[in-house]
Amino acid sequence: MKRVVNILIASVGGQGGLTLSRIIARAAILEGYSVKTAETLGMAQRYGSVMGLIRVGSSVKSPLFDPGEADYILGLELTETLRRLHYVSSSGLVIVADEYKPSYTQSVTHPSLKTEDIILEIKSLWPRTIIVPARKLAEKAGSVRALNVVILGAFNAISNLLSTGSIKTAIREVLTEQAALTSIKAYELGYSYSQQAL
Amino acid sequence: MSSRSNILAPHGVRVPLMGNEAIARGLIEADVKVLVGYPGTPSSEVIMTIQPYSRELDIYVEWAVNERVALEIALGASITGVRSMATMKAPGLNVASDPLLSAAYCGVERGLVVLVADDPGPHTTQTEQDSRWYSKLAKLPMISPSNPQEAKDFTKIAFEISEELKLPVILRTTTRVNHTVSDVVLGEIKKTLQEPRIPRDESRFVRAGMLWNLERHKWLNSRLQLVEDIASKYSINSSIGEGQLCVITEGVAYDYVVESLEELGLLSEVKVIKLGLLYPASRKFLLENLASCKSILIVEELDPYLEEQVKIILYENGILIPVYGKVTGHIPLEGELNKYIVKRALTSLAKGIPQQVSLLEKTPVSPRDVPPRPPPLCPGCPHRFSFIALKTALSKKGYKLSEVPIFGDIGCYALAVYPPISMLWTEHSMGASISMAIGAKIAGYHKPVVAVIGDSTFYHAGIQPLLEAVNKGVDLLVVILDNDVVAMTGHQSTPAWRVSESGRVLRPISIEGIVRALNPDLVITLDPYNLDEMISAVTDAISKPGVKVIIAKHPCALLERRRRVFENKYYVEESTCKGCKACIITTGCPAIVIENNVARILIEDCNGCGLCARYCPYKAIKQLARSVNS
Repeated sequence: MKRVVNILIASVGGQGGLTLSRIIARAAILEGYSVKTAETLGMAQRYGSVMGLIRVGSSVKSPLFDPGEADYILGLELTETLRRLHYVSSSGLVIVADEYKPSYTQSVTHPSLKTEDIILEIKSLWPRTIIVPARKLAEKAGSVRALNVVILGAFNAISNLLSTGSIKTAIREVLTEQAALTSIKAYELGYSYSQQAL
Repeated sequence: MSSRSNILAPHGVRVPLMGNEAIARGLIEADVKVLVGYPGTPSSEVIMTIQPYSRELDIYVEWAVNERVALEIALGASITGVRSMATMKAPGLNVASDPLLSAAYCGVERGLVVLVADDPGPHTTQTEQDSRWYSKLAKLPMISPSNPQEAKDFTKIAFEISEELKLPVILRTTTRVNHTVSDVVLGEIKKTLQEPRIPRDESRFVRAGMLWNLERHKWLNSRLQLVEDIASKYSINSSIGEGQLCVITEGVAYDYVVESLEELGLLSEVKVIKLGLLYPASRKFLLENLASCKSILIVEELDPYLEEQVKIILYENGILIPVYGKVTGHIPLEGELNKYIVKRALTSLAKGIPQQVSLLEKTPVSPRDVPPRPPPLCPGCPHRFSFIALKTALSKKGYKLSEVPIFGDIGCYALAVYPPISMLWTEHSMGASISMAIGAKIAGYHKPVVAVIGDSTFYHAGIQPLLEAVNKGVDLLVVILDNDVVAMTGHQSTPAWRVSESGRVLRPISIEGIVRALNPDLVITLDPYNLDEMISAVTDAISKPGVKVIIAKHPCALLERRRRVFENKYYVEESTCKGCKACIITTGCPAIVIENNVARILIEDCNGCGLCARYCPYKAIKQLARSVNS
């Protein structure tokens, strides 16, 4: 592993981006890593644009990293992923849900846009992108709300950053019992999806 | 958000904690007995973290009605012999500044620490206030941590310093410390004997005696002479490396500096001085550490506070070396810092390093022009009904929306400034909606004026402005948007609650009761979900003389959703939808999206208020069968 791994989570408030950040931080600490996250919360961030940064390594100092430094972008929504795409590093990988939740402005000014249009735009800008049918897999696991953990599974199958055991422990610590059960299923579905996709 | 196993884990364990959770753990380790504050991002989680364990830890932890009340409660507890903390965001310290300045004169018995959270960026605050100036103004020691580990450790140190000096200590943080999660090694939870006992000493506690005040001012100045020596026992200032260029920094900026130097390969050539004590100036420490420096770069967020401090010390000691920072334009005066800004400053000063034209050149993808997504009112938000009712009623009465000013206040409803609601003219400071509306009327504005204020903001700072309006007989419509919670900062309790988050049984204070006691010309309480009722109430009230108060009472949609057993959901019948966008253009509801020229309702986000269905001209929005909320 390089000295510090930089992960960016792009999401719409309410999608569980911060919870995802917490799960990764917890699991990384269980593995003995040092962690820093930068979150923007408060002020009714629900349905607003939310960017979370996580840094994992042997010794992490700054909670922020700069554009061009993300080893991974985990996207819970396509437009938000497009908004943060300039954070990807030259060897970076984008893992994003096929979820299109346009903002009010985008709905009104670009009503004809479709999910496929944004996917095409992201892929043309950054071919090292994996699109995950996250809503479908989360529903299969039992709840659309587990979409965030589907992306975590897809990410970890590729990065092998953390052990599945640590992630499951972290999920149980961060979430309620019922949500943890659903999320562990969602994690596994995301994990096997990207294993097959590779 | 962090689990019990993290917050109450034993000594020596390493757990992930957010800066505010780390401060909470520091309070537990320091055996604090009274913890009070008013919600404000990014400070709120300190109190929220301890609330569930209030009884078991025997800590009084409650939200107070505002910051000055919180600070006065904490001061009262401290002079009665128990360790106390008051928490607030930066503008909250403005509210609490009156008791703060006097507290420096009377001092404390057991430790009193005031937590103030500044917000460089800003991310969630009305100004980029630099609360470091308050330490200089109030003449109170201030310390500042760089990361969650220090946030915990410095909290404990702040109590030690406070007790040794018998002065309140200000613990100053910024968003990137408060809201950063990091691994934190926990310390020992030490119980201390804290006996409630109030010393009677009029010269110390009564500010009516001017000679006493003069004496206390001398006492305060003499205490400030001791701060650096006392603080140095806890090593809160530190330095690394040696070099002719010295960087002086504090807070999270320290981590940007160290990492930037590492990445530029300069760590061995530059000396980095990190200040944990921000006031009074660490004169001895700085002079000792600056002895070998040929030039200085000061890396700090917000104002050139350390820059002034350092320049004064250099001048006093006849040291004439260049000082770079905000005044020279190396570090910006506004916004938060990051590694890019710090690297730019370092590369322009460090000799032998080729100037990098733009560090952003390493981004393989250029930034995209994606439409902004400011936080909207949530699906089902009762404020949306209230603002649409206001809009409709003003039009019905023949007013143009451009001629009836809506003075707003601080809370979620300020998000009504954004399209398509676009109904807010001002948002200023807590309670200012009513006072500024009074000002507009007495200035002679002849069209109606409206003030909108939330329930918690009304309790906090809206009662006196309403009293003023009634007392002076001003023609004014006041709409109190009562959603039964402090919503914007994360759903904290209000004085209307029956039980607080820590389990304390409360006597609920009714907003209508307070309003009626002030005797305005009209008081109506209604549910804004009954949109037609609210439209006609506003239509009737708007041009009547005197102070009219409409209390629009409906719980926050997110709270209501959690309490509900049955869920309403709406959906768009795709074959009927003409893509006219009336649903989204009227409501701005974030559960509605337009894709491929057809409206779609995101079922998991819909809160079932049905407002969009009301405005669909083609009746394409339909109610789903009620489902049990899982």
